[in-house]
Amino acid sequence: MGNAPAKESRSRSHSQASTTSMISNLLPTILSSLGAGRSRARSYSGAFSVNTNNTNSAGLLGILGGSNSIGSAGGDKKKRQEEKVKQKELHYQDLVVRYYENVDGGYLAPYGTYKSNLDFNTEIVRNLVIARRLAPFYTPLQDFDPSWSDNELVVLLSQLTLHLIETAYSEDEDEDDDIDSRKLHKSANYYRRQEQRTKLKQIIAVAKETQKHEEQVFLEDKLKLKSTQSQDQSQILDLPSRDLLLALYRNASECPICFLYFPQHFNISRCCHQPICSECFVQIKRLDPHPPHDDPSQTSSNPNETPHTLISEPANCPFCAMPDFGVTYTSPSHISTGIEGMTKPGLFKSFANIPEDDSVIMDVSPSSPATGSSSLSPQRRSRMSGSSPVGGGYPARRRSSLAASDPAVVTIDMIRPDWEQKLISARNRLARKAATATAIHASNLLIDDNNSGRSSQAGSVLLRTMEDRMVEEALRLSLLDEEERRRKAQEDT
Amino acid sequence: MAALPKRIIKETERLVSDPVPGITAVPSDDNLRYFHVTIDGPDSSPYSSGVFDLELYLPDDYPMCAPKVRFLTKIYHPNIDKLGRICLDVLKDNWSPALQIRTILLSIQALLGAPNPDDPLANDVAEDWKQDEKRAVQVAKEWTEKYAKSKEIATTSTTEESV
Repeated sequence: MGNAPAKESRSRSHSQASTTSMISNLLPTILSSLGAGRSRARSYSGAFSVNTNNTNSAGLLGILGGSNSIGSAGGDKKKRQEEKVKQKELHYQDLVVRYYENVDGGYLAPYGTYKSNLDFNTEIVRNLVIARRLAPFYTPLQDFDPSWSDNELVVLLSQLTLHLIETAYSEDEDEDDDIDSRKLHKSANYYRRQEQRTKLKQIIAVAKETQKHEEQVFLEDKLKLKSTQSQDQSQILDLPSRDLLLALYRNASECPICFLYFPQHFNISRCCHQPICSECFVQIKRLDPHPPHDDPSQTSSNPNETPHTLISEPANCPFCAMPDFGVTYTSPSHISTGIEGMTKPGLFKSFANIPEDDSVIMDVSPSSPATGSSSLSPQRRSRMSGSSPVGGGYPARRRSSLAASDPAVVTIDMIRPDWEQKLISARNRLARKAATATAIHASNLLIDDNNSGRSSQAGSVLLRTMEDRMVEEALRLSLLDEEERRRKAQEDT
Repeated sequence: MAALPKRIIKETERLVSDPVPGITAVPSDDNLRYFHVTIDGPDSSPYSSGVFDLELYLPDDYPMCAPKVRFLTKIYHPNIDKLGRICLDVLKDNWSPALQIRTILLSIQALLGAPNPDDPLANDVAEDWKQDEKRAVQVAKEWTEKYAKSKEIATTSTTEESV
């Protein structure tokens, strides 16, 4: 790499400057193209004057791919790259938290506690949340004290943002993540890498802007709700009611991984019944493909097999180390709001007159001491609403462990279905490296051969064997490529 | 620098409020992800008379990846090399985000009590250990006396060091 870092950092700061200036142009395009592709609960008009007729959805690709012609060969490749860019855009747009995309008081995208490892399949995760098979991404509380009064709790909750924008989009994530895999790719030249990085930066910057915009919408609607209590605008109904907030957070408990406080409806590990919040769950993933043992002597024993000995194992349960980590989730029976829910979160009312006998939830968490606030009885009621006979579902009443293949279980491989593809490409990469080494080795022999005289019998034999070996190698490589291509084609269908 | 995750703050608080006997971990003033650590040699081990200095760093991805821990005090142990690097599964592939600073330091303390010469990091030490365990234990004792702080002195000097 030599002096590359200095160069990179220079161009990075440059691209940053240009990125911000581009955002204002790009945002409407992206929003409109996304709006067309997916049905969003809300139109994106208002803050931006979008003319959907004029901005076609390829606009962004046009801009981002504008300088693409430098290194690209053939329209097919270009198309594939554009497809990749488009997927990246969707991925990052899916990671934006929008308050009107809510399920049982939580959201479809993580809060932003972690900034890396968000390479899970967002579409799958969104659908799992909507299907109530994975806990929604609740906004965490940094602290929680059961002695807080309901009013204190509600005030605190109403001040929370949708997303930890500064942590999640902070700038020092340059070198890691998905870009790395392409950086190792030997065919990628410097310019292309640079270009891809810039593109990704732009996509992320646009996502960040979108998140800022969503935050603004959230804030404005909250204010609107405060000022016009009676008006029932459909979007404002997507803001959680006081009852809903209390039903969720009155008995908040701590996620054992991130130490943040969430509503009690956690995902439960399939093996050992431990709670884990969705944001931590989507962080857990397979280790990168690696040789079976750390011991290098074992892998090098058979050099021909090296590329194929790379393995990838399913992640273990963080709590009990059981292989193939998976969770189940039971949505609270008394809360069913938002997407595919029974009511809008703004309309959620806890039912009065539920007797105080439902100790189901109370035996799990220390019962909250009576709060000395003025309006005790409504608070009581709302708190009680968190405990219908079936229970607010702490450990979901599941007594036994479940197999990873159980239909109720969501495994970490389900949300990253590309792991197999990654393993294959890692193997191919290694194979290609090995082939290059062989080729270099072979060509060295050829040169030696030239020097020693072409006519000699021994030389021509050597030459032929060299040629054979190179042809063999080329065949092997093309077989690998073909395999990869077929796999890709299969995945597409 | 990005804000410190709640998890690190809480772990630090809990290390202070509920310390582990025989282990201290104090965050550095200028970098709260960097900890000065001391571990008492476990009783009935050749390290029992010593207090060992370590450094611990929580990388950006913590707790999704393991903390980086290294012995600063010279130690004669088959799973700890000259640079103080430690061969311990939970510091590598067997790391789990459910583990904590506390548990990882306890694992290291346990490693002092149970050297594993069959999975060595310091090959020469492991060889000695396998060939003549008595002698190896003797050397470990000598090194402990020579390089590690003695427990009696350490109790007074730790307060000084944390300043």
